Amino acid sequence: MGVKALDTLEELAQIARTRPERLKEEKGKGVKVVGYIGRFVPEELLYASGALPYLMCRGGEPEPPDAVIPYMLRFMSPYDRAQIGYYLLGMDPVVPMLDLIVAQCSDCHESRLADMLEYFKLPTARLGVPPDWQKSLSREYYQKRLAWLKEKLEALTGNKITDERLKKSTESINKLRDILSRIYLLRKQQPPPIGGYDFIRLNHYSFYCRLEELLPRLDELYAELKKGQSPFPQDVPRLLLAGHVVGVGDYVVPKLIEDSGGVVVAELLDEGMRQHSWKVKTDGDLMANLGETYYSERTPPSIFQPAWEKRADIIRKLIRDFNIDGVIWYQLSFEEIYDLESSLMAKVMDEIKIPFLKLESSYEYSREAVGPLTTRVESFVESVRQRRS
Amino acid sequence: MARDIYVEFLRLTGFEEEEIAEYLPQWRKASEKLGLTEEDVRFATEERLPAYFAVELEGIRKLLGCFVKETIDLTQASEYKERGVKIVYGILPAVLHFYYALKLTAPEKVFVSFPDIFLTMVLNGFFHKLAPYLEEAEKAGIPYGCRHCALNKARYAARRLNIIPSPDVNWIWGFICDEAPKTDEFIRIYHDPEWKTYITRLPHDQSLGTVEDEVAERVEYLANQMKDGFESAQREIGIKVPEGKISEVISMWQGYAAKLSELALLMSADPQPLGAISGRLFWEGLFTPFNTGMENLEEALDITIREVKQRVANKEGILPPGAPKLLIYSVHPTVPWIAKMFEENGVGIPLSEFFIMSKKQLQPPSFEDPYMAAAEGWLRTSGMVNPGYQAEQICEKLETHKFDGMVFGLMDFDRWLGSSHRLLTRMVEEKTGLPVFYIEGDNWDDRDYSPEALRTRIESICEIMKIRKA
Repeated sequence: MGVKALDTLEELAQIARTRPERLKEEKGKGVKVVGYIGRFVPEELLYASGALPYLMCRGGEPEPPDAVIPYMLRFMSPYDRAQIGYYLLGMDPVVPMLDLIVAQCSDCHESRLADMLEYFKLPTARLGVPPDWQKSLSREYYQKRLAWLKEKLEALTGNKITDERLKKSTESINKLRDILSRIYLLRKQQPPPIGGYDFIRLNHYSFYCRLEELLPRLDELYAELKKGQSPFPQDVPRLLLAGHVVGVGDYVVPKLIEDSGGVVVAELLDEGMRQHSWKVKTDGDLMANLGETYYSERTPPSIFQPAWEKRADIIRKLIRDFNIDGVIWYQLSFEEIYDLESSLMAKVMDEIKIPFLKLESSYEYSREAVGPLTTRVESFVESVRQRRS
Repeated sequence: MARDIYVEFLRLTGFEEEEIAEYLPQWRKASEKLGLTEEDVRFATEERLPAYFAVELEGIRKLLGCFVKETIDLTQASEYKERGVKIVYGILPAVLHFYYALKLTAPEKVFVSFPDIFLTMVLNGFFHKLAPYLEEAEKAGIPYGCRHCALNKARYAARRLNIIPSPDVNWIWGFICDEAPKTDEFIRIYHDPEWKTYITRLPHDQSLGTVEDEVAERVEYLANQMKDGFESAQREIGIKVPEGKISEVISMWQGYAAKLSELALLMSADPQPLGAISGRLFWEGLFTPFNTGMENLEEALDITIREVKQRVANKEGILPPGAPKLLIYSVHPTVPWIAKMFEENGVGIPLSEFFIMSKKQLQPPSFEDPYMAAAEGWLRTSGMVNPGYQAEQICEKLETHKFDGMVFGLMDFDRWLGSSHRLLTRMVEEKTGLPVFYIEGDNWDDRDYSPEALRTRIESICEIMKIRKA
């Protein structure tokens, strides 16, 4: 990656870092600030209501999940616990000023998080997402919940979400998806011009920058990356990172993979990434389009049922399309559904002779914890490299 | 004549002499299939069952016998299947009406079971021998370290070990946890492509305190989900349940529930007339279908009510009069020493909150439509709803049965039912002012939480309660 591309990335990082101050300023002017949790909450609706969205997706530190233990079973996902843990520790500059938190409820961990938000009197709206996604009843349910959310946002902001406004926000976010897709596809090159550590962060920054600031910079970045200069050696082993989520700030594992001589060229992560391959249609019934894309078209998350055979097919396709040498499964402690899925994926990878490494984290990245983690990742990358050569 | 421990076991579990001749060969075969040795049967007969169950009562012996008969029957499921009987499974918790409606429509053509419940209750509760099943699952894709549920592991292991056949349909309900239905998806992909499932789910998206059975849209959605699942199950097995059958089952179920409420009131008498573990298995009848039918269970319940009434009249108790009495969220005979440890320390835990009815649950349904009635009933149940509404119902039960406090926990494997307990502990204590405790543990699988590990916690709770009551 060239210097200019690095500068653009750093500029976006800087904008994202100052998001809390900027939200505070806007709130002072009367703009509503809406937090949201999960990939099933359409950002399009939030923008169309005139609210400023704020994705709650932090991770990577052990103290915030632990702060929740007096109120919740400790065998729950550290990621979900972290979303309120920072607030409980007084470390969250944004959550206290949110006018509403839209919390997706697709599994037990998310729903218990919503319980906690309500228990602590944070303004919460739950977006129910039925996991039995192939039934018309469930599709209708999600669609109705979106309609309910639309009304809730209109009441909060005092703005009617007209078709015009919704179309505009959808088109803007589609542009963002488009440019991220183009950057993503550049990673098919060997060596890729951008690795997973940077691409994941880029996704994260995209949630915390205003679209008008973001889009031109992403265009610039794409142009730079397209020139083909790569920070990785020609024979770098190509890896897929799969699992639930790399939270904002939880960068130890992707960075470690790339510091160990590998490169992440594709991801299958259910949360924290823009599902950029799917655009929302901007003609016809716009609300129905949102429902269709968000619920039915995109890669089903692990919690959906049935999902795992389809997800295995998707991984197989990624392996082919991105010429992947090995898969690293990144899972957070006590996420029981991902734990089951990891066994299935290990079996599938064994069948197609692709090396597979399962990593599990409770966000404990002390020196003592990172040592063994480093050894495992380095050994895996080395074995993949030898296999490749 | 040499002792036959298998005969003694059947006698202890309430089998009549004339039944023993019929059941003995079946029981030998079943125990062998389950991996139970003669020594295991001896342990159950001489130590485990007498230690934890009031086997001096005929009703309790017959209750144990119902579980033995059902377990024997379960081990014959493959033979049923070979004879063309349709195999229908489900998972806990689910509304039983639909499973019984299938069974009662075609008793000879349908086999219904929630297999993991019986295996877990009987193998661990009676023999303390569930571990080989759990280990079988753990070595084959359901790792030990993630605190997966013992029931799900048991179901998977039972299939792996050929204890049970593939179902014609496994109608699975993910109304509570995610892991149970996803385990069935796992079994199908990882081990048994014939493990055919139909899934019915309901998102947990109601705000704290919402009275969910009064949210018309939610009741209707749930009713439609139940109807959809039931129609699918009927299609899969080619049996059409006539109209009216569900209502017939509902009244059967409500009759049984009313008797259980009578037993609950008796068990909360002072002094406590019966140990918690002894009575607890009766409540499985509300949540688990018996392929062998409800009649035996109901007969055992009638006898037990009569016997316990006599104890109450005689002021006979397992604890001294005035002993502190705690409501426990849920105690299971699978790990019977937990309840016993409370009782040995002078504190009663006669009833499990999850299983006893609130006043509203005992009211007739507001709907004639059986699906709407079933959905409404489900959403009146404290364990099935948001913690705010659940806490309200728990407070009512504490008042109804005059408890001195409550214990939550022992559900650390359950990301839904167990995950709210710390929050509920606070909510119930705030509302009632009663002492409310939390114990981390697992009431299905006691490999991680031994008596030694929990003793200090239980003893300290008991001491606090005795000091408060003094």
